[in-house]
Amino acid sequence: MDRRSFVKVTGLAGLTGLAGCTGGPGESEETTTTEASGGDGGEETTTAAEETTTESSEDTTNVGMVYATGGLGDGSFNDQAQQGAIQAEEDLGISFDEAQPDEVSQFKTFQQQFAQSTNPNYDLVCCIGFLQTDALTETSEAYPEQNFMLVDSVVDAPNVANYVFAEHEGSYLVGQMAGLLTTEEFSAGAGSTSSDSATLGFVGGVEGSLIKKFEAGFKAGAKAANGDVEVLTNYTGSFNDPAAGKEAALAMYNNGADIVYHASGNTGTGVFQAAQEQGKFAIGVDRDQSVTKSSYADVILASMVKRVNTAVYNSIESVVDEEFQGGGIVTLGLEQNGVDIVYGDSLSSEIPTSVKDEVAASREAIVAGDVEVPTDPSDV
Amino acid sequence: MSAGDRARDVLARLVDASATERILISLASLVLAIAVGTVLILVAGRMTTCSAQSAVYYFNVGFCYDPVLVFDRLFLGALGDPFRGGWSPDGQFSIAMRETTLLIFTGLSVAMAFRAGIFNIGTQGQMIVGGLAAALGTLWASPFLSGTVGTLVLVPFGILVGAVFGGLYGMIPGLLKAYAEANEVITTIMLNFIAGGVTLYLVSDVFKDPNSPANQTVPLPDYAQFPAVLFGSRQDFSLYALLFGVVMLFALYYVLEHTSFGYDVRTSGIQPEAAEYGGVDAAKTIVSSFALSGALGGVAGALYVTMVIGKFQAGVPAYGFDGITVSILAGNNPLGVGFAALLFGVLKSGTTVVQFATDVPPQLVGVLRGLIILFVAMPEFFRLIGRRLLPEEDKSRAVATDGGERIADSRASSDGPSDGGVSGGEDE
Repeated sequence: MDRRSFVKVTGLAGLTGLAGCTGGPGESEETTTTEASGGDGGEETTTAAEETTTESSEDTTNVGMVYATGGLGDGSFNDQAQQGAIQAEEDLGISFDEAQPDEVSQFKTFQQQFAQSTNPNYDLVCCIGFLQTDALTETSEAYPEQNFMLVDSVVDAPNVANYVFAEHEGSYLVGQMAGLLTTEEFSAGAGSTSSDSATLGFVGGVEGSLIKKFEAGFKAGAKAANGDVEVLTNYTGSFNDPAAGKEAALAMYNNGADIVYHASGNTGTGVFQAAQEQGKFAIGVDRDQSVTKSSYADVILASMVKRVNTAVYNSIESVVDEEFQGGGIVTLGLEQNGVDIVYGDSLSSEIPTSVKDEVAASREAIVAGDVEVPTDPSDV
Repeated sequence: MSAGDRARDVLARLVDASATERILISLASLVLAIAVGTVLILVAGRMTTCSAQSAVYYFNVGFCYDPVLVFDRLFLGALGDPFRGGWSPDGQFSIAMRETTLLIFTGLSVAMAFRAGIFNIGTQGQMIVGGLAAALGTLWASPFLSGTVGTLVLVPFGILVGAVFGGLYGMIPGLLKAYAEANEVITTIMLNFIAGGVTLYLVSDVFKDPNSPANQTVPLPDYAQFPAVLFGSRQDFSLYALLFGVVMLFALYYVLEHTSFGYDVRTSGIQPEAAEYGGVDAAKTIVSSFALSGALGGVAGALYVTMVIGKFQAGVPAYGFDGITVSILAGNNPLGVGFAALLFGVLKSGTTVVQFATDVPPQLVGVLRGLIILFVAMPEFFRLIGRRLLPEEDKSRAVATDGGERIADSRASSDGPSDGGVSGGEDE
């Protein structure tokens, strides 16, 4: 092919390609879709009416979102936070902008950009993830007039609202469920448990005090259900390494574990794969993973949901209502519905009612303060 | 003329290109990259949906993303908008300079090794080790001093510790290559993993800050961190560090071009057998090149710790790997590293501005950044290949070298290598 015909063909292909693209600006603003890359819930379409009101009115609440490294599309933590903002956009008519840092040093950059911005002026900057703590400590001091909210950690400043979760409480419930099921001859979906071993597994991401809360709660719950239960633990060192998750889970299943709980972000995908291969069960985390990872719904008994969206939504709502309270720590536990056990989408009906009843009883006991769940695995 | 001959011709022309031609080629590549990027942005803008007000219109067709805005933000926004009123060096400009400073050191580290014919992929690992060592060393020493004296002593001390440990870590693959003939590409890649794993263990356990959920050391006291001067305090940038980097650019250039050690390094890089025949101690050159390369990586780590984040935290960004690209972009020339690092630093700074100012997804910005670097680096890359391939066919080229660089390129150092012994020492 000589050069001239090459240019012609490329040009033609380019033009047809451009013309063929169906996107571009909407003709009459009928619908706008948000860029929810990982959104697979059914609640993220906004209607034109709200969109126009948000853009025309001057006093719209503007919210800046600074996500954790890993960005949107992780199917758990960041996407969950985005859900909260999207919900606030629908219900409260706010508008939000997003920043996805990929390095720790960028947290401060984005926090400052949101805080400095005057067009629009951001009424609240949501900082997602504990790695932002140090950056926010400095930024909140430099911009005392700016409201911030922080998820999963605490910055002691009058303009920062801190939201932490009682992950150990929710983990206790899934641990109890697992402890009860492991000694039964239980089979549902693609998995089964055998009564001859009382072994469970826990796969963590990067080892740290936060993930240890999940482990501690899970172990405590399992022990409460059955004193003889043994929990195998493995930290893969990454939140984004499905191969390592699979390897860790396979080793546990081969050592007699029936059910493996993971708190390891995308690494957990490997845990689900291992469960399917071995015909055993797994427990999801952060979101209802039997829905978000529906191809593994036949092995996911339940998920320990952590409603980061609630934290984001509540903080935005408080700003809209002009009731923003900085300096405080809001702990979202079972009582506040910040964490909870959600049974698997397709396996829920198969789980014995007696198990569900016992879990529900512990839930009440924890809410009432009758049961104290440890936050450190060494205290179990 | 067959396609192969034509390709060889183009390579030969590239190899023979003068400095001015090379700069022009780079600029043309940059323009071409922007042109291709513009098309990409437009196409991507047709593939998403947005509201009519937020779109831009070219030739009566609406696009969701505006390429002019994107490239304006990527370059001018990255520098804090120098052509608009109210420019302050304390803003985004400092971030571009901060990234440039770190990339100067990782770029120099890689360039140093590449000039010796060693493919040091381990700068990242050396940077991590140097960073942790600098943090721990400074933390250990900081109780003994305070105030301005503390800064004057502790900051150089931290850099020194980083350089020493980075250098020692760099010596490991050097020794393995020199005395066990282990391929340095493999050993350095493996050592990167080891550095990452071991430091993660250390800061998540032994040296962990008990008050933080993150895997990090206790923060360094303020007086042990790089002082900001004139501007940059809010963006964790210190002009001193940049000046130090610029000094190191010239220092390494001098060492490579005007000392006998540099002569040994360059000749080993071009023709190891000939160098050895000419009396160069190959093993010693490999180990010392690796140590110097590792030391520069270690300094980058120390700067990351003492200037940018003020503690060591697991998960050091990939400055070391970026250093490889910076070095190739610069044709492994220490002075070129300065410009390549600046381009890289601006692009890194610009990425965050684009993300903030537009709806363009960060992945697309990453693609644009990659395009620019690819386009600018490719001519240099082919030059490197050409220099390796062509001399075998045309023996006269191999003869026409002067101190490891082809005469046409080394006018500046024409008096250099033969009397390099005068200026002496093996080290800096």
